[in-house]
Amino acid sequence: MSSTAGSTLARGETDLEEESSVRAAAQRPYHVVVWNDPVNLMSYVSWVFRTYFGHSSSRAHELMMQVHEKGRAVVATGSREQAERDVTAMHHYGLQATLEES
Amino acid sequence: MATAFRPTTRGCRAELEQHERRLLSRLCGDVVTILEGRTRNVSDDADVSDDAPASEPIEAPADASADASADASADAPADIGMDDSVFAHFSAELAGLDGDDSLSAPEDPVLRRLLPDASTDAEEAGRFRRLSESSLRAAKIADLRTARMLLESSPVQVTDEQAPMLGRALNDVRLTLSARLGVEDESDAEAVQQRAVRGGGSDEETFMAEVYTFVTWLQETLFSAMLEALPDDGGDGDAEGGAADGRRA
Repeated sequence: MSSTAGSTLARGETDLEEESSVRAAAQRPYHVVVWNDPVNLMSYVSWVFRTYFGHSSSRAHELMMQVHEKGRAVVATGSREQAERDVTAMHHYGLQATLEES
Repeated sequence: MATAFRPTTRGCRAELEQHERRLLSRLCGDVVTILEGRTRNVSDDADVSDDAPASEPIEAPADASADASADASADAPADIGMDDSVFAHFSAELAGLDGDDSLSAPEDPVLRRLLPDASTDAEEAGRFRRLSESSLRAAKIADLRTARMLLESSPVQVTDEQAPMLGRALNDVRLTLSARLGVEDESDAEAVQQRAVRGGGSDEETFMAEVYTFVTWLQETLFSAMLEALPDDGGDGDAEGGAADGRRA
């Protein structure tokens, strides 16, 4: 920080403001986006959505079709930390996935 | 001729010919080699190299003289590689990227498909890659090695726990072949399928197309069997419930 001026109280307030804005950024939900690609099989993608995210078979099918027809789908939304884990898991399954601020 | 994977009481099973199992095992080994090459390149670029896993030769060298000539020819590119990494570091600094916080995407299209960017924003993707790519490589290599072990036995029998590992390994083999075959969109994939159906197998690309189509078929049967084995949720497990009646589609 650039300034040492101000009372203890003022510094306290500044710190609180910064802290809460940092916390708000960390808590802002993130989307896990899966992109269409010509390689991954429809049955495989549906299976990953069902077993990894615990989506119902109809929801998994709906998301898979959205990826296939629209080119992308938001398959999960959550904290930054959770979204990072999900994107890495999708890459482990060989799906093209990205993290996106909601 | 191979049979499809079918569900059994504790997993899935397929009958594969010995040459089919050998081919699949070699392909898994090739992907391991590609991923280990990336691990070496990344740790060469970094200041710390003590976390680089010991490289493990997958195939025995054909003969000693071929091995020696490979060693000799490997010397020159190693020096060039060093210069490249210094240059890459320098240009990364010029671009305002902190080399310690970011890892650039691989240039090889196969590796780009196996280890994709986690963000459409290049800076974010580089930071994410620095933190997560090495564990992703390790996870993929572990799957591919498990797959090779499973392909040792006939028939190929996989438990419910092993099936996803084999499935991911087969998928990585398909991603690798598809990048080599230049499959960028659905029409490219269709063209590969047509080439495999026409057959012949006289040139390398036709052979690769046939192998790709075979692995695709095998993976499809594995996941069809695994989908069958999943508990039936009546097609609608969402709390909101609307999806199944089509009104919310």
